[in-house]
Amino acid sequence: MAADLNTVDPAWAWRPFEPAADRPWNQPLAAHLYRRAGFGGSGEDLRKAVERGLPATLDALLQAAPAAQEFDTRIEQLASTLLGSNDPRRLSAWWLYRMIGTPAPCLEKTTLFWHGHFATSAAKVEDSEMMLAQYRLLHQHAFGKFGPLVQGISRDPAMLEWLDSTTNRKVHPNENYAREVMELFCLGVGNYTERDIQQVARAFTGWELRRGKFEFNPYQHDTGTKTILGQSGKYNGDQAIEIILAQPAAPRFIARKLFRYFVCDEPAPSPELIEPLAKQLRAGDFEIGPVIRTILGSNLFFSTHAIARKVRSPVEVGVGLLRALEATTNVYKLADGLDQLGQAVFYPPNVKGWDGGRTWINSSTLLGRANLVRTLLSAPETRFAEGRGLAAVAQRAGIEFSQPGGPERAVDWLAELLLAVPLATAVREPLVALAREPMEDPNRRLARLVHAVCALPEFQLV
Amino acid sequence: MNTTRRDFLTRTIGTSALLSLAPSIPQFLSGAAVEAADSKRSGDNVLVVVQLAGGNDGINTVVPYGDAEYKKNRFTLALDKSQLLKIDDYVGLHPSMRGFSKLLEAGRLSILQGIGYPNPDRSHFTSMDIWHTAQLEPTRRIEGWLGRYLDAGVKRDGRDVPCLHLGSERQPLAVLARDVRVPSVRSLENFKLDDGGDSRLARAVGEAAGAPRAEGNELLGFLERSTVSALASSKQVHEALKRYDTSINYPGSNLAQQLKLVAQLIDAGMSTRIYYLSLDGFDTHADQGEAHAALLTELSGAVGAFIDDLAAHGHADRVMLMSFSEFGRRVKENASRGTDHGAAAPMFLAGGKVKPGLIGKHPSLTDLDDGDLKYHTDFRRVYASVLQEWLGCDSAAILGGKFDPMPLLGKKA
Repeated sequence: MAADLNTVDPAWAWRPFEPAADRPWNQPLAAHLYRRAGFGGSGEDLRKAVERGLPATLDALLQAAPAAQEFDTRIEQLASTLLGSNDPRRLSAWWLYRMIGTPAPCLEKTTLFWHGHFATSAAKVEDSEMMLAQYRLLHQHAFGKFGPLVQGISRDPAMLEWLDSTTNRKVHPNENYAREVMELFCLGVGNYTERDIQQVARAFTGWELRRGKFEFNPYQHDTGTKTILGQSGKYNGDQAIEIILAQPAAPRFIARKLFRYFVCDEPAPSPELIEPLAKQLRAGDFEIGPVIRTILGSNLFFSTHAIARKVRSPVEVGVGLLRALEATTNVYKLADGLDQLGQAVFYPPNVKGWDGGRTWINSSTLLGRANLVRTLLSAPETRFAEGRGLAAVAQRAGIEFSQPGGPERAVDWLAELLLAVPLATAVREPLVALAREPMEDPNRRLARLVHAVCALPEFQLV
Repeated sequence: MNTTRRDFLTRTIGTSALLSLAPSIPQFLSGAAVEAADSKRSGDNVLVVVQLAGGNDGINTVVPYGDAEYKKNRFTLALDKSQLLKIDDYVGLHPSMRGFSKLLEAGRLSILQGIGYPNPDRSHFTSMDIWHTAQLEPTRRIEGWLGRYLDAGVKRDGRDVPCLHLGSERQPLAVLARDVRVPSVRSLENFKLDDGGDSRLARAVGEAAGAPRAEGNELLGFLERSTVSALASSKQVHEALKRYDTSINYPGSNLAQQLKLVAQLIDAGMSTRIYYLSLDGFDTHADQGEAHAALLTELSGAVGAFIDDLAAHGHADRVMLMSFSEFGRRVKENASRGTDHGAAAPMFLAGGKVKPGLIGKHPSLTDLDDGDLKYHTDFRRVYASVLQEWLGCDSAAILGGKFDPMPLLGKKA
C-alpha cells in the first residue's frame, strides 16, 4: 500500500477531481475537505457544502468572505486588549478562539502551517506584541507570494530575537539566521554548503533589532562581494533571499511541505509527484494560494491515498471537536490541554516546528487526547449551540435517543461527523451497546458517547 | 471470544510481533487475570540515557583551565580556576556541578573526553539522528540503536515493557524499533484513561479499541496497536508504583522528578532495561553564562540524587546512566556572549560499576578542525561497550559494524 502513492500518475494526481455518479460529492468527502482545509465542519457546514458543490466550496474556503471581515475586526480588537498583560499564553488562547470561530478556516489553517514552518517560540521571545506582529505577518501573507513573506520574516523582530540575530556584525557575522533560512525555511539540507552559510551571513550583517523594531545599521554591514550559491555580487539580505528562492530546490521544498500538511503524512511523495506543484509555484511567482487550491481540489486529494492518511494534530483534536459540535469553551484551559498533547501554539518545541504524523502519538498523548475530550465535554464553560446543549445539536440532525433506532443513529451520526474512516462492525457494536444504556440527561448521554468515539484509534485519523 | 481476538492479533500483527506485544495484551483480550506486579527484583542491568539536546558546551562543562588558550578564546565566558571543582591539574568541573563532583569522589562518575565521530555535522537534527542511530550514512537511519537492541530480543519476563521513554517531547529516534513499541510517559496522570469512574465506558473503549478492523490503512493499524498498548502499559505502571520510600531529597527540577520516577520503577522490580530521558536547552548561541549554569545545575543535581537514591536501595551496581549531547561547541566564543555549534565533547557515565575518573585526554585547544575540537574516540565505541559489557549483547549487528569496546567498567558487571 505504501508503494502505491508513488505509482500514481502525477498528471492525474493534480487534475481537478470531478464528482460523478460512482463518486459523488457528498457529506463524507465534504467532511474530508473541511478537516484538511480547515479544522472540520459542523453538520450545517457540510450540508451547505454538499448543496453548493465542490468548486463553489473551494472558492469559499480560499477567498475572503464578507462575514470574515466583521469577525476579523472584532477578533483583532480582542487581540489588542490582550497585549497589555504581555502574556503570550493569552495569545495562544486567543488564536484558538479565532480558529474555533473564524468564517475563514482555511486561511487560519494555512497560517498555522506557516507558524510551524517558521517556528518561532514565545518561550524565548516572551513579548506578546512581537509574537502578535509575526502572527499578523504570516496571516497577511498566508495565501500570498512566498518571496515577500521570507523578506518580511527576515526583518520580523520576533524572528530576530528567536534566532539570536538581534545583532549581526561585520566583524563576526552571525551564521544562525543564514543557516536556518536555507536549511529550514527555503531549501532544505543538502542544497547549500557551509561556505554559502558564511556568505549569506555576511549579506545579513547590519540587520538589527533595536527597541523591539527592525533597523538596518549601515556601519555594521559588510559591503564586500559575496558568492552565494554560485552567484557573486555585493549582496544584501534581500538579494540573498532572491538568490536562494531562485534555486530549483526552493519551490520543491515548499511544495513538499504543503503536500505533507494537506495530503498525507506518509509515504514521502516522489520528486515526480511533487514536480507539477513546484512548477506551479515557480510559474506563479511563488504564490501559495493557487497551489493550495490545486491540492485541495485534486484527484489525489479525494483518493484513498489522502483520505484518513494523516494523524490528527492536537489542535485538530480540540478545535476540530468544538467546530464539529458547534461548541465554544474556555480557551485558556484548551490551550493548556493542547500543550500537554504536544502542541502549544506560539510555543513550537524547536526550530523545526512540529514534526507531526506518528510523532504526535505516544502512550501519554494518546490517553491524554481521550482525557482532554472528556475534560472539554464535562467543563461547565463548554457550551453547545450557543447554550442549547449537545442534544439540541443532535436533534437538529434528526437524532433522538427516545426514537426507535435512536442510539444506533446517534453512533452513526457522530461517526460521520467526527471520523475519517467508517466504523468496522466489531468496533461499532460496543459503542451501540453504550449508546443504548439509558441516562436521564440526554446531553450527558450524548457526551459520554462522544467521549467513547474520540477515544477510538479512528478519531486520531484526519 | 478470546480465541478470535488472539487470532486477529496474530493475523494482523504477526507472530513475532505478537510475542513482543505479549506483555502488553490487556486483560480483556487475553482473558487472563491481571497479575499483581510482584516485588521480585530483576537481576538484569539497567541503562538510563539522559540526552542533552542543543549541543552542550563541553569546554565550559569539563573546563581545561590548565591551558592558557582557554581564557584567550572565552573572553567573557571563561570560568576562573578558583570557581571550578577541580578534577586534576588540567581540568575542573563547572561550579554548578556539585552533584557530579560528589559522584566523582564516591567513585561513581566516569568522564569520557574527546568523544565524537568523523566529518562532524553541525546541524542539530542531523547530528542528533547520527547519535540516535549510530549511522553516519543518512539512508540507514531508520531505527534507533536501542530500537535495534530491543528488536534483537531483549530478555523480558513477560510483563514489563523493555524500554520506557520519559518526557513529553516526541519519542526519540534512538528507541524506535520495528516490532517493539516503547511507551512514552510524561506524568502518571496522563498515563491513565480518565473515565470518571464510569467502568462501563472504560470497558466499551477497551473493546472497541481492540476489535478487528479491515486492513489496508497502515496508519490506522499503527494507531490501533498504540491505543491497545497504551491502555495496557498504563495498568502495569500504576501497579508498579504501590509504595515507595526514600530519604533522598530530589531537587524540584523536571529531570530530577523524572529520575525519581525511574528510581521508583526500578525499585518496584520492573524488568524494564532501558529508560530514555532528555534535557533540552543547550543551544546557547547568546548569553550562555547563566543559562548553561542553570542547565548544569539541573543535570548534576538530578543525577546526583538519583545515583544516591539507587545506592540507598541497593540498586547502584546494576544501573548505569549515560549522558551525551549531539555535539559540543566552538572553542572561540562568538560576539553574543555565547558559542556556536561545534564538534567533539565529553560524555558522562554514572553508576556503581563505572570506571571512575577521566577517560581519555582532553582534545587540544589549538590543533582544531575548522575552529572545533577534534575527537579521538568514536561514540560508537562507547555504544559498543555499553551493548556488550553492560547489556550483554552483540554490538556489531546492532551498530552495523565492528567498533572496539573500551573498558567502561571499574568492576566486573
